[in-house]
Amino acid sequence: MSRAVPRDELNLSLAVTSLMRGVVYRDAAETTWQHVVGLAAQVSDHVATIGLQVVIDEAEGYAFLRSKSDDELADLGIPRLVARHQLPLHTSLLLALMRKRLAEHDTTDAGNRLVLTGDELREMLSPFFPATTNEARTTDQADTAVRRVTDLGFLRRMPGQDGEFEVRRVIKAFVDAQWLADLDAHLAEYTEIIREEAR
Amino acid sequence: MQFDEIVAVRTTSAAWRLLRADNAPLVLSFLGRVFVDDNIREISESELVSLLDDELHTLNAKLGDGSYPRPPKAYLDEWSAPDTAWLRKYYVVESDEPHYDATPAVERAVAWVRSLQDRSFVGTESRLNTVFDLLRQIVYGTNTDPEVRLAELRRRRSEIDAEIQAVERGEVSVLDASRRRDRYQQFGDVARALLSDFREVEGNFRMLDRQMRQRIATWRGTKGELLDEIVGSRTLISDSDQGRSFQAFYDLLLSADRLDELDRLVREAQALDDVADTDSRLTNIHHDWLDAGTRAQETVRRLSEQLRRFLDDQAWLENRRVMDLLRNIEASAYTVRDLPAAEFGHGIDSPTPTVNLPMERPLYRRTATVEVSSDDVEEGESDGDSDALFEQIHVDPAPLIDGVRKVLRGRDQVTLAEVVAGAPLQQGLAELVTYLSLTDESFAKVFDEKAEEAVSWTDETGTGRTARVPRVIFTRAVSTPAPSATVPSTTAPSTTVPPTEQEGP
Repeated sequence: MSRAVPRDELNLSLAVTSLMRGVVYRDAAETTWQHVVGLAAQVSDHVATIGLQVVIDEAEGYAFLRSKSDDELADLGIPRLVARHQLPLHTSLLLALMRKRLAEHDTTDAGNRLVLTGDELREMLSPFFPATTNEARTTDQADTAVRRVTDLGFLRRMPGQDGEFEVRRVIKAFVDAQWLADLDAHLAEYTEIIREEAR
Repeated sequence: MQFDEIVAVRTTSAAWRLLRADNAPLVLSFLGRVFVDDNIREISESELVSLLDDELHTLNAKLGDGSYPRPPKAYLDEWSAPDTAWLRKYYVVESDEPHYDATPAVERAVAWVRSLQDRSFVGTESRLNTVFDLLRQIVYGTNTDPEVRLAELRRRRSEIDAEIQAVERGEVSVLDASRRRDRYQQFGDVARALLSDFREVEGNFRMLDRQMRQRIATWRGTKGELLDEIVGSRTLISDSDQGRSFQAFYDLLLSADRLDELDRLVREAQALDDVADTDSRLTNIHHDWLDAGTRAQETVRRLSEQLRRFLDDQAWLENRRVMDLLRNIEASAYTVRDLPAAEFGHGIDSPTPTVNLPMERPLYRRTATVEVSSDDVEEGESDGDSDALFEQIHVDPAPLIDGVRKVLRGRDQVTLAEVVAGAPLQQGLAELVTYLSLTDESFAKVFDEKAEEAVSWTDETGTGRTARVPRVIFTRAVSTPAPSATVPSTTAPSTTVPPTEQEGP
C-alpha cells in the first residue's frame, strides 16, 4: 500500500494523461488511482471537451475513458476519439465466454484474480468451431481470437507465467448485459441469414 | 463410523490421499516443515521453488540421483492440481507471481503422522482437570438461577480459603515433577493444535463465502427475501458460529494484558528444570498465533467486503442477466457452427482513446542523395531474346478521347465508324477495343445492339481487315462543356463510377 496522496497534491495532468493511455487499475497503479479518484469531477469536465466521459468503478477498482454516445458527439459537432472495432464471430464469442467465466468465478471464489491458461481459453472456444479433423486450424483460429482480445486489453499475459492470461475485470464494463443482448440479437439475425442462404 | 462413510472419506479426503501418495514422505516432510513448523501462511512461487530445490538436492544426494528426478516446479504443479489439493495456488493483488498456501488437509495429515510417534510419557491428570473445568463452565455458565451460581462461587471461595489457611500454616503443596511435565505437555498440545486450527478456520471462512455466493447467484426470489434469508440464517461470515468464536479469540489475543501475562507465564514455565524438553517454538507461540490470527482476520475482512459488493443490486442482477443471455448466445453459436460462414461483425469500443499527434510523427529528413557516375559506362550485350518486350501493345486512350471530342465539337453525336473513318486505326484490333471502353466526362457512349457497323483498317502486314461491331454512338454530355473539357484528359479508361461524396456515420 502506498501512502495517501494529500488533496492539494493531486495532479490533474497525471490523472488525465494516465487515463488517455489506457485503463487505470487500483492494484497496478495505486498512486495514479488516487489522483484519478480524487479528481473525478475535474477529470470529467476536462475530458468532456474532447467528447469523452470518465467511468470510475471503485468497487471493482478500475477507471477508464469512454466515448460519449454518437448522438451526443453529433450535437457537439466533434469527431469520435475512441475507435470502434468490428469483431469477427469467434472473437465476439470469446469475449462473451470470458464474461461468463468471470461471472462464474465471482459466484464461487473471492479475492483471487481470474487467471486462465491458453489451453483453457482454447477449450472454451473450440466447441463453437465446425467439427473438423484439422485441429491445427481450429487451434490457430482460437489463438487468433485470443490474440485479438489481448490486443484489445481484455486479457493480459501474466508476465513470467508461460501461457497464462488474466481476465481483466474491466471486461465487465464493456461486455455488459446490453452488449450481450445486442450480440444475442445480432447472432439470431445472422443465423436467419445463413439459413436463408443455405436453402 | 459406517463402512460406507469410510469409503466416501477415503475417496474424497485430500488428507487421506496425501497419506496414500507414493511420495508421501517428501510431501509430508517438505510441506510440513515449511507450512506447519515454520508457520508460513503465504509464500511466493520463486521462494517455494528454491526451498524445494534445496530439499530435492539434499534427498537426491542422500538417496542417490534420480530418486526425485523432476524439477521442483513440476512437483508444485502436481500438488496444487485441483484433484490433489494439497496446496492452494492463487494470485495475490500486488504481484503477478503465483502464491501458495497449504490446505487444511496437509495440517491434518502431518498431525496424524506426528501422533503416531511413541510418547515416553502421557500425562492424564491435567486432561481430567481440564474436563472438570470445561464441564463446570458449561453448567454454571449457562445457569440463570442466582442461588445455584452463588452456591458455586461460595464453594470455590471455601476451597481458596482452605488453601490460604494451609499456606499460612506453612503447608505449601507443590506440584511434583511429573505433574508439572503433564501440564506442560498439555499446554504444548493445545498451543500447537490452536495454530494448526487457524488454517482450517480460514478454509471454513472461504467455504462459507463460496456457499453464500452460490446461494446468491442461484436465488430466484426477490432481493428482500434473499437478504432475510442470509441475515436470518446467520451465515454472514462474521455472524456465523465460526466467525464469532474466532472474533472472541482474536479480541482476547489482542488484549495487551493477556499477551504480557501469557508471555511471562510461558517463560517462567520453561525456566523450570523438569520441563527441560522444551520446544523452543512454544516460547513465541503467541507471536505465531497473532500472525495466523491476523491473516484469518484479513481473510474475513476481504471476503465480507467482496460479498457486500457481490450482493450489490447492480452486480447481482447483471450477473444473472449475463448468464441468461449466454445460454441463448451459446445455443445460437452452436446452430451456426457447421453452416457456411457469412460475414459477421460485432462492434465494441476500444478501452483506450486513440490519439495520433502530428508531432509524434518523425520530422522531415532530406533523403541522402546518391551520386551517380556516368563515366566508364561500357556497352553491354544482351544474351536473351528481347523481342517479347517490343511485341506488347499499349494503346493510350488519351489521343482517342481527344479525337472523339474534336469531332463532337461540331456535332451532337457521332458513330464509331465515322470517328474511325476520320482517324484511321493505327494499332488495329487493340485500338478498336480501347474505343469501346472509352469513358470521359465530356461525352457519353451508347451501344445500339440492334444495328451493326463495319470498321475497317489495314494491319502492319498491309492486309485490309474489317470488324463487325454493334453500332456505337458517342454523344455530347448534356451538362458540358465544362471549362476543363478543353484540357486533354489523361485518365485511363475505367469502369468504376466516380466515388460520390457520402456522409459517414
